Amino acid sequence: MSGGTRLENANPVIFQRSGERLLTASEEDEDVHDPIDDREIFDLIRSINDPEHPLSLEELNVVEQVRVKVNDAESTVSVEFTPTIPHCSMATLIGLSIKVKLLRSLPDRFKIDVCITPGTHTSEVAVNKQLADKERVAAALENSSLLEVVNQCLSTRSI
Amino acid sequence: MKEALSLVQRLSAHPDSRCWFVSWNPTGTLFASCGGDKAIRIWGREGDSWICKSVLHQHQRTVRKVAWSPCGNYLASASFDATTCIWKKKNDDFESLTVLEGHENEVKCVAWAPSGNLLATCSRDKSVWVWEVDEEDEYECVTVVNSHTQDVKHVVWHPTQELLASASYDNNICIYKDEDDDWECRATLQGHTSTVWSLSFDGTGQRLASCSDDRTVKIWKEYPNESGEGDLLWKCVCTLSGYHGRTVYDVAWCPLTGALATACGDDAVRVFKEDESANPDQLVFSLAAQVTKAHSQDVNCVAWNPQEPGLLASCSDNGEIALWRIQEDST
Amino acid sequence: MAADSVVLLSLVEEFVSGLQDSKAKDTATGIKDGQFTILQLVEALGLSLTSSQPQTRARGVQLLSEVLQYCYEDLTEREVEVLICFYENRLKDHYVVIPPLLQGLRALTKCTVLPPGSAVSMLRSLFQDIHVQSLMLAERSCVYNMLINLMETREAELKGLGADFVFGFIQSMDGERDPRNLLLAFQIANNIIRRGYNLGTFTEELFEVTSCYFPIDFTPPPNDPHGITKEELIEALRAILTGTPKFAEFLLPLIIEKLDSDIQSSKLDSLQTLTACVSQYEHKDLAEFLEGLWASLRREVFQTSSERIESAGLAALTALTSCLSRSVLNSDSEDSLGIFLDLVLKDCKHHLCEPDLKLVWPSAKLLQAACSASSRASPILTAAVMPLLTEQYNNTTQCSHRRTLLEVIQRFIQSVKTSQSAENEENVFLPFRQSLCSLVFSALSETNSSLQITATSVLTLLAQQTGLLLDSDVELAVDHLIRLLLTEEDEKVSLAVVECAGTLAELHPAAFITKLIPRLKKEMFSGPIEQDSNREAPELQSRHAVPQWCLSALAAVSTQPSVVQESTSVLLELLSAAHTGAVSLSVEEVVMACRSLQRIAEQIQDTEETGRCFHDIIIPRLLSLALQAALQGEGSSGRRSPLVEEAVLSAMVSVISTSCSRLQPILAAQTASRTVSLFLDGDVSFLPDNSFPSHIQLLKKPQGDSWSQSQMVCLLMGCVCSLPRSVAVPHVDQLLSQLEDMSCTCSHPLSYTSAAKCFAGLVNKRPQGDSLDSLIQRMMKRVCSELDSASSPVRTQAFTLMIWVAKALLLRYHPLSTELTDKLFSLLDDTNLGPMAAEGISLLMSDSVDVLNRGCHADVRILYRQRFFSENSAKLVQGFSAASQEKKPNYLKALSNIVNKLPKQVQVTELPALLMLLLEALSCPDQGVQLSTLSCLEPVLMDPPPALIQQLEALVSRLLALICSPAMNVRTASLRCIHALSRFPIHEILPFRARVLQAVACALDDKKRLVRREAVQARGEWFLVGSPGGR
Repeated sequence: MSGGTRLENANPVIFQRSGERLLTASEEDEDVHDPIDDREIFDLIRSINDPEHPLSLEELNVVEQVRVKVNDAESTVSVEFTPTIPHCSMATLIGLSIKVKLLRSLPDRFKIDVCITPGTHTSEVAVNKQLADKERVAAALENSSLLEVVNQCLSTRSI
Repeated sequence: MKEALSLVQRLSAHPDSRCWFVSWNPTGTLFASCGGDKAIRIWGREGDSWICKSVLHQHQRTVRKVAWSPCGNYLASASFDATTCIWKKKNDDFESLTVLEGHENEVKCVAWAPSGNLLATCSRDKSVWVWEVDEEDEYECVTVVNSHTQDVKHVVWHPTQELLASASYDNNICIYKDEDDDWECRATLQGHTSTVWSLSFDGTGQRLASCSDDRTVKIWKEYPNESGEGDLLWKCVCTLSGYHGRTVYDVAWCPLTGALATACGDDAVRVFKEDESANPDQLVFSLAAQVTKAHSQDVNCVAWNPQEPGLLASCSDNGEIALWRIQEDST
Repeated sequence: MAADSVVLLSLVEEFVSGLQDSKAKDTATGIKDGQFTILQLVEALGLSLTSSQPQTRARGVQLLSEVLQYCYEDLTEREVEVLICFYENRLKDHYVVIPPLLQGLRALTKCTVLPPGSAVSMLRSLFQDIHVQSLMLAERSCVYNMLINLMETREAELKGLGADFVFGFIQSMDGERDPRNLLLAFQIANNIIRRGYNLGTFTEELFEVTSCYFPIDFTPPPNDPHGITKEELIEALRAILTGTPKFAEFLLPLIIEKLDSDIQSSKLDSLQTLTACVSQYEHKDLAEFLEGLWASLRREVFQTSSERIESAGLAALTALTSCLSRSVLNSDSEDSLGIFLDLVLKDCKHHLCEPDLKLVWPSAKLLQAACSASSRASPILTAAVMPLLTEQYNNTTQCSHRRTLLEVIQRFIQSVKTSQSAENEENVFLPFRQSLCSLVFSALSETNSSLQITATSVLTLLAQQTGLLLDSDVELAVDHLIRLLLTEEDEKVSLAVVECAGTLAELHPAAFITKLIPRLKKEMFSGPIEQDSNREAPELQSRHAVPQWCLSALAAVSTQPSVVQESTSVLLELLSAAHTGAVSLSVEEVVMACRSLQRIAEQIQDTEETGRCFHDIIIPRLLSLALQAALQGEGSSGRRSPLVEEAVLSAMVSVISTSCSRLQPILAAQTASRTVSLFLDGDVSFLPDNSFPSHIQLLKKPQGDSWSQSQMVCLLMGCVCSLPRSVAVPHVDQLLSQLEDMSCTCSHPLSYTSAAKCFAGLVNKRPQGDSLDSLIQRMMKRVCSELDSASSPVRTQAFTLMIWVAKALLLRYHPLSTELTDKLFSLLDDTNLGPMAAEGISLLMSDSVDVLNRGCHADVRILYRQRFFSENSAKLVQGFSAASQEKKPNYLKALSNIVNKLPKQVQVTELPALLMLLLEALSCPDQGVQLSTLSCLEPVLMDPPPALIQQLEALVSRLLALICSPAMNVRTASLRCIHALSRFPIHEILPFRARVLQAVACALDDKKRLVRREAVQARGEWFLVGSPGGR
C-alpha cells in the first residue's frame, strides 16, 4: 500500500492461525486413499495474503474452516468468505484470489463456488454474481494489472 | 428417453486452454472453433474423421465466439481484446480482412444477419453495435444500442427477418428492429433470474429459446401486439427447469429436426424434443437424450450441423470438441 | 642526436597526419628509453600545435597526452611545470582540442613531482574555462578523475582554494546522468564532506546537487558491461547525505517527503538513510523534525505489508531514540528524548488496550524499538507500558487476548535485555517484579497451551534479568514447573517447561535440588499402575508419558555439578530398578533414561568433579548392570532384563562414549584400562555390586545363545574408540586380534558388527607404520578369502569388517584404503552382495553416530568425501557402462549415495561430468535409486549450475515422468524438484511452463494428500513464472 492512501480498515481484528495439519499414519501409508477434505481445502486458502494488510485471510478471519465444504465424490467445493467490513471494496479481489487459488490447486473435475458469507457485505449479490461468471473471471485474469495483484496475493510473501 | 447421443469423434482442439465456441459453416462441411489460447481453428472432414485444416492467429486475448457469413466465405471472430476480426476465405485458407474496433472492452459475441449485409456485435461495455457491409468489404457502424444495464453476452439474428435479439448479464433479453437505419429495442423479455447466456431461434423464427445461469431454459413466442405503438410482444411459453445441475451456457435449436440441445456447466449435453400435440401457448418439451459426462469439464457450446440432421458439435473447458449423432435408442 | 630528432619528427608526422595511433606508444617508448625528452616532443609538435586546423591541433595534443599517460612517472618537476602551463593555456582552444587536453591533464595529476601551487592553478583554469556537463561522457570522467587524483595527493593545496573548490565541483557535476560518472562524483563529494573541506556558503548547494539523485532509481541495462549496481549507487550517495550534520536541515525534510512515496524501494532507502544519518546527529539537529519523522515512521510501520519496510522503520526509530538519548546527557534546556517518547506513547499506547486488533503489534514493536534504544529510554517506556499491560491482562478473560498481551510483555523484556548494561543500574523491571511474577504464575495455571508456553518464555526471561527474582519467586516457579511436568498432556507445553527448567536450574540450582529432583524421583518410582484393570486406556497412556518428561527434565536441569550428582544418582537407581524389575519400565523408557545421562555428559562443564562422577560412578555402574543382565541371560526367572536389548545397549554406548571423549582424559584412560582388562581378562574388580563369576570371557566366540555376552563388545567400543588420540589403549594388539576373530566368526549381527566397528575405530587411531600395514594386510587376506568363496557362511561378516575398516582408513587418507574400496567396487557386480555393497558406500560417505566421528577424536580429514569421489567416480562410471543390465542399478545407487553426501559446491562443480549418469539414474526402474538421485538433485536445483540448465529438457522430462511413479515418496520428491525448477532463470524455464502445469495437474488428484500438497506448491509457483506480479 502506498503511503499516501489510507487503508479502509486500518486496524482490523486479528485471529490466531491454526496449526499445521498433523500428519497421520494413514497419510504415510501408500495404499490408503486420502480423500480431499474440508481441512485440505482450507489449508489451500488460509495463507492467501490479504491485498491490503501483511496478514493472511485466516488471520483476518476472512476464511474459516467451517465455511469450507467439499464433496470429493461429487467433485464440488464451496467456500464462503467474510469481508472484514461490510463495504470492503476488496471483496471481489479477495474472492477472485480464492477462486484462482482453488482453480490452480484442485483437479479440474471440481466445480468451485466462491461466495460471500450471507449478510456480511453490502454488495453481496453483485460480488457473488461476478465471481460465479466464469467468462468475467477469465477476462479478469487476462488483465495483467489485475492478474498481478492476484498473483501477489497468492505468492509467498517475500519483501 | 426415446433417443440417444452417440459419440462420433472427440478432438483435442485447444490444448491447455478452454474451447469456448464452435460454429458450422452454412453447408455443414466445415466448422470453426475458438478459445482461451487466442486461436481460431478450422475443422474439415477427411474420410471418416474431422481434422484441423488451419489455425488462425490474430487476436491478443481469448477469442470468445466465431460466426460464418450466410455465403460461407467470411468468418467473424469476437475477442476479449475488444476487437472483432473479419476473415475472408481464400481457397483453403483464411486471411484477415479487417479488424473492427470500437467496443471499450471484451467483445463477447458476433452474428451475421441472414442477408449477409449486417453484422451485430456485443460487449461487456453494455452496448450492441450493428455494422453495415458494402460491396467493397467495408464495414461501417450504423447503430450503437445501449438497452442493457450490464454486459451483453450474446446476439443472434432472426433466421429470415432483420430482427436482432441480445442476452445479458442483467437477466434480460432485448429484441431490436430497424427504424429508418436506426436500431431500436422493441421488446425486453424479462423472466430469467440470472445472467442469460445464449439464445437460439427455431427454424421459422417464431420462437426463441434462451438459457441462463438460473439453470433454466425458456421458450419465448411472438404475439401480435394489440396496443400497436410498433412494439413487439414476446411471451414465455415454456420453462425447462429441473434438468440442469448448473449454469446452462448454450442452447441450439436444430432448424432441420426441431430438436433443442443445451450445453451445461454440469458437464452434460442434453437434447429436448417438443411434444407437437401440446397447446401452442403452453409448449411441452421432454428430454430426448442426454450424456451426463459429455465432457470432463463445463460444456460451453452446442451447435447442430445445418445440413446433416442430428449431427451435433459440443465443446468444453478442457479444450475438447466432441461430435455426436442423435439416434433412435435401440434399447 | 640529429638522427633521433628526425625519428621523433617522423613519429609526430605519422601520428598527426598519418593518423597511425600506434606511433604514440613508439614515441612513449622513445622517451622512456631516453632517446628523446618530453620537451623535445613538445618542440617537435610545434607545427601541429600551431596549425590553423583545430583537428590537427587536437591530434597534436592527443599525441602528447597519450605519451604522458605512458610516462608521467618519469617526468621531472620542471617538465611538469612547463607542461601544466602549456595545457592550462590551451583550455580556451577549440572544443575538439579539449578531450585530448583533459586526458593530458589527468595524466599530469598523477605525477608525484607536481610543483607546489600547480594543483590550484590547474583547477582554477579548469573551473574557469570548461563547462563540464557539455563534455562527452569520457571527458567528464576525466575531470572527475583529475579531482580524485588531486584530492589524494594535494589535499592541503585544494583546501587552500577554500569554498571555490567546492563551488567548482558543484558546477562540474550539476546535471550528471551517467551512473559510472556519478559513482566518481559521489566519491569526490564524499571526500569533501569526510575530509573536512570548507563548504563555505555552499552547503545547501552541495546537498542539492547530490540529493537530487535520492532515492536512487537505477536499473542496470541487460548485459551491462560496467556492472554498476543500484546498491553501489545507493551506498555511495547515502555516505554523502549522512556524512555531516550540516545536511540535517535539508536531509530530514527530504526523507519525510520520500517516505510518502509509492515505491517500496524508495521507502526502504529513505528509512535506511535515516538510520544512518541520525547516528551522526545530535538532538538539536533533529529537534524541529521530530514530529514529522515520527508521523512518517508510525505510518509506515502501521500500514506496510512488507516485513523489510517494517524492520527498517523500527531500526530507524531505535537509531532516532538512541540519538536523542545521547544528547540528553549534555543536557540542554529541553528534554527532547522525553518529548519524543511522549509522542510515541501517545500514538501507540492505547493500541495495547485492543489486543485483538491488528495495530497492537505494530504499536508494540514501535514501543519496543524505542525501548531497546538506550538505558534512558527503557525506564521511561516500561514505566508507562508495563502497568498498563499487566492491568489489561488481569482485566481480560479471553485467552487469545491474554496471550497477545503476554507476548507483548515478553518482547518488552527481550527488548530491554538488549540495552541493559547491567552493572550498578537497577533493573528496570524491579518495580513490576511482583505483578509480573503473579501474572506469569497465573498464565502457567491456565489450560490454554499457547498461553502456558508463552508464560514459560517470560519466566525464563525474568530469571535471566540479573537481580530481579527473589528466592521465593524461584521456589514458586519450580512448584509450577513440577506441576506442569507431572500433569501436562500437551507435548509442546512439556517441552517448553523442560527448557525453562533447564535455564532456571543453571541460575538457581538450589530450588531444583531440594524440590524438583526429589519430586520427580518419587514420581518415577511410584511404579506402574497395575491396580484396577478396569482403568481406562487413555489414562494408562498418559501415565506412561510422565516418565518421559521427568527424564527430559532431569537431564535439562543438570548443568551445575551439585544438580548433576543428584540427578545422575536418580537415573542410575532407575536403571538398576529396571534391571531387577523393581520398577517395570519399557525398553523405550530405559533408553530415555540412558539418553538423559548422555545429555548430561554432553552439557556439563568438564571439571574434575563431574569427571569423577562419570568415570568412577556412572560408567562402572552401567557396565556392571549390563554384565549382570548379560550373565542372567534368559535366566531362571524367564524374565529378560531390558538391559540386554540392543536399543538400550546402544544408548549406553553413547553415555560411555560421550564421557570418555569429553571428560577428563586421565580419568578416561583409567576407565579404558579397566574396561580392556574386563573384556580381555574378565577382571571385574572395579565393578560395583561385585558378585560376578571369576572366569568371564566376553570376547570369546560365543557358544550357543550366549550372544547376550558377546554383544557387550559394543560397550568396549564405546569406551576405547572414543578416547582422545593421546590416550593409549592398553594391550591393543591382543585386543585387535580378538576383535578380528570375533567379527569374522560370530553369527550374531550386533556382536560381529560391533566387533568390526571397534576394530575399525582402533585402526583409525593407530599410528602409521609397518605394524599397522601388516595388521591391515592380514585382515584383508582373511576377509578376501571369505568373500571370494561363494559358499562361505560368513561372507556378510567379512563384508562388514571390510567396509568398516575401509571407512577407518579412508577417513585418515591411509594409502591402503584404495585396496579395500576397490574390493568394494568389485562387489557391486556380485550377485548376492551387490546391493549391500551399494548401500555400503553410503556408510562410507556418512557420519556414523557411535564411532569414527570427530566427536570421538577419530582421524577424519575434512575433504575425505571429495577425495574419495574424485578418485573413484571414473571407476564407477566405467563399471556402470560395463555392467550387465541387472547390475546397473547397483552402480547408480552407489553413485547417488556418494553424490548425495558431497558438499554442495563440490556437487555443483562435479555435476557436469555426472549429469548424464544422474539423468540415467532418474529413469532407472529402481525406486531407491530414483529417490536417492532426487534427494541429491533437489539441493543442487536451488542454485543450478549452467551444465544443468543445458540439460533442462532431459531433466524436465524425467522429473515429469516420475510424477506418476507408484511410490509415493518418489512422487513427492520429484514434485519438490519440479518446484525447485521454478526458481531457474525465467527465460530458460518459460518454454516448459505449459507442459509442467499440465503434467503436475494430474498430481493434484493423487490419492495421497502429501503428494497433492507438493503438487499444489509446485504448480502454484509455476503459475507465477512469467506471470505479472509473479516472477
